[in-house]
Amino acid sequence: MTPTLLRICVCVLLAPAALMAQGAKGSAADASAGLDPKALSLFHATGDSWPTYNGDYSGRRFSELKQINATNLNQLKNAWTYKITGVGPQRGAGSPMIKSTPLMVNGVLYFTIPDHVFAVDARSGKELWRYDFVDKGGHLLGQRGVGMFGRWIYFLSPDGWFLSLDATTGKEHWRKKIADEKLQYFTTMAAFIVKNHVILGVGGDAMDVRGYLESRDPETGELQWRWWSEPLKMGDAGSETWPNQGALDHGGGMTWMPGTYDPELNLMYWGTGNPNPVYAGQGRKGANLFTNSVVALNPDTGKLVWYFQANPHDTHDWDDVETPVLFDTVVDGKPRKLLAQAGRCGFYFLLDRVTGKNLVTKPFSKTANWAKGIDAKGQPIPDTDKEPKVDGSMVDIPVNGATNWPAPSYSPLTKLFYVNASEGYGVAYLYDTAAEPQGFGGGGSGGFDTKSALLAIDAMTGKVKWRHEPKGEGAEGGGMAGGVLTTAGNLLFTGDSNRLAAFSPADGKILWSQVLESRVSNGPSTWMLDGKQYVIVGAGDSLYAMVLGGK
Amino acid sequence: MVCVVAALVCLDARPVIAGGQEPELRPQAAGTGQGAARPQRSTRDFLGLGAAPDEAAAKLGEPLFQANCSACHGAAARGGTGPNLVRSVLVLHDEKGEEIGPVIKAGRPQGGMPAFTSLTDVQIYDIAEYLHLQVELAANRGLYKHSDTMTSGDVEKGKAFFAANCVSCHSATGDLAGVGKRFSQPSAMLARIAWPSARGPRQATVTTPAGEMVKGTLVKYDDFETTLKAGTGAVTSWPTATIKVEIPDKLAGHRALLPKYSDDDLHNLTRYLMTLQ
Repeated sequence: MTPTLLRICVCVLLAPAALMAQGAKGSAADASAGLDPKALSLFHATGDSWPTYNGDYSGRRFSELKQINATNLNQLKNAWTYKITGVGPQRGAGSPMIKSTPLMVNGVLYFTIPDHVFAVDARSGKELWRYDFVDKGGHLLGQRGVGMFGRWIYFLSPDGWFLSLDATTGKEHWRKKIADEKLQYFTTMAAFIVKNHVILGVGGDAMDVRGYLESRDPETGELQWRWWSEPLKMGDAGSETWPNQGALDHGGGMTWMPGTYDPELNLMYWGTGNPNPVYAGQGRKGANLFTNSVVALNPDTGKLVWYFQANPHDTHDWDDVETPVLFDTVVDGKPRKLLAQAGRCGFYFLLDRVTGKNLVTKPFSKTANWAKGIDAKGQPIPDTDKEPKVDGSMVDIPVNGATNWPAPSYSPLTKLFYVNASEGYGVAYLYDTAAEPQGFGGGGSGGFDTKSALLAIDAMTGKVKWRHEPKGEGAEGGGMAGGVLTTAGNLLFTGDSNRLAAFSPADGKILWSQVLESRVSNGPSTWMLDGKQYVIVGAGDSLYAMVLGGK
Repeated sequence: MVCVVAALVCLDARPVIAGGQEPELRPQAAGTGQGAARPQRSTRDFLGLGAAPDEAAAKLGEPLFQANCSACHGAAARGGTGPNLVRSVLVLHDEKGEEIGPVIKAGRPQGGMPAFTSLTDVQIYDIAEYLHLQVELAANRGLYKHSDTMTSGDVEKGKAFFAANCVSCHSATGDLAGVGKRFSQPSAMLARIAWPSARGPRQATVTTPAGEMVKGTLVKYDDFETTLKAGTGAVTSWPTATIKVEIPDKLAGHRALLPKYSDDDLHNLTRYLMTLQ
């Protein structure tokens, strides 16, 4: 029996749906082959899969594919659309919205919304299986997707269950509880696979709990290590940035976005979220390490190797979980391993990813006047006069931050870092004036003169090389949306208004667009199958696949 | 969707219930550019806080808590010599007193907590609901309220700032007469001062490819397509790249002031304008 036939037999036994979806030409989706670990690389090389949330370990979201390029863009058309059915409005969050980036492995796409996983034939858009979970709490605000190891798919439910599913059938293999939704933890992350580790982060800042990141065994789901976002006890390294044990124990620092990884250095890079209580900082005087930081961890031990804090003592709910993007370049004749991040706090950071040493700290959204300067380590120094006040304190960063989780991109061709950003003014109010406040403790209001823009930032200097400010306001349909993808076809894909648009990465000129039913709600991705390059994007409850010539 | 909330905030000055994970790339909301509005949702649902506390029971539980528990656990259950009960894992796991009850009845002798044997099951339920309400007040930020009074700001300084920066467009006895009555909450007044944007469709003049100028209301305007409803009622669409769109910038003065305000300036102005009754 040839391996192919064997695989088909397995399909018959395990997945009638998968078999039915197979095409006549032998180019069927074949989930049973599992994910070859070689597909996981620092810089996405092969282009025939999209095996992780960011496509590769670097988080660059740059693809070497160039079948689709500026000369033939006008032929780029929708090949199929998969619309989620059978899911009504999600509790507190409205209609289903795809925020996950689909994995594409062996011709099958795997993507999610909160409580639901879908496997779809990448060639046809036909559903192979779906997995529906019934939660008992947690936020249904977003779900970033799944991770894959061999033949297993990993999924986090909103209420802290870590599930292993069979990639061929969608059947549950096992589940482990990793976070307590009753304490207001919730889980939305796309599992991140490094060697034999499944790395999982948590969210939740309503009730002052500690953030953590953990590693679990891909076969058994058992805990391998857990790293806490705060030092465990007073006296430990970093505890000098907290006033007391109580503040440490309730200090927040959620880990809700997938990180990045350098296999050569064996270092994993992770962004942490805001400290708690969120807006009321008076009970946690100090920088509050290791919240709102980029941390470099050893994936085998969970030990901290270095950290860089983007917004010390945050009081604005500006999580620093935005992708720490890895790229290599040559500086003064020497090869450099670098890490770039555009933080929600409005600063662009460039670090040496071997040491964590800062090279650039520069605002990309107005002046980021919550900071009054930059310290010797390159970290912004928060201005105490810009902390939330009972009567309000205005900063020149929008309430929800200068950017957020939607993926940025770095192109080695242009050496530019691309990010959808927000500009404007917000006012932060303090409600809980107690010496030891609890919960959010305050809030932000006021979208004053707020607008979005696609920024192209010179990765080595932090200077904005070009910006695209979309015409119109929300009510009229304008505005940037979703994440960014760049390709060797000299294209940049992102959401603009209710379209997927392609821009020229060099100068920001709009080259092409396609109307969608909703605004882009995830990060676009791309891969090759049967010699055809696909561009995949999620918008609201639908996933769209585009190829040259359409169907 | 958070943008919807943010937009509302400007009008009624309630706090943003921004999910920490939610992007805001646009000043206003609603999905698709096709006018699809999201359903209104409660913060309680959004946070997945489960069943709401029984407020009637909590009211009955409050004096019981004060009489029996507050000496150790603090007046608002946030801790004293005894532990904080608002952040207590046991309290957060409790639904209707089934976890809290046994502890109250048996005490925690090793921790120095006596048994409260005289409390009835109903009273214990009431105390548990009082604790759940304290959790609710901390965790459910949809219940947070802006202050009705100010702690800072100086009327005279606000008046001086107004005279120096605002009088070319506004008058305290003209367009702003009685403005303090319309915006009685300081945060609402501050938002109005900083950015009094109208939330309706904007007026624009379109110069068509043929060179004709059409005035009307923007129905749709983005990088790709522009639709205008003219005064005559005629609705026309053009590719945005083929036309010129001019929108009067009514907020230019306010935009220019945004980078200049100190918080004191805003508080002083708010104080002053609130005196215009």
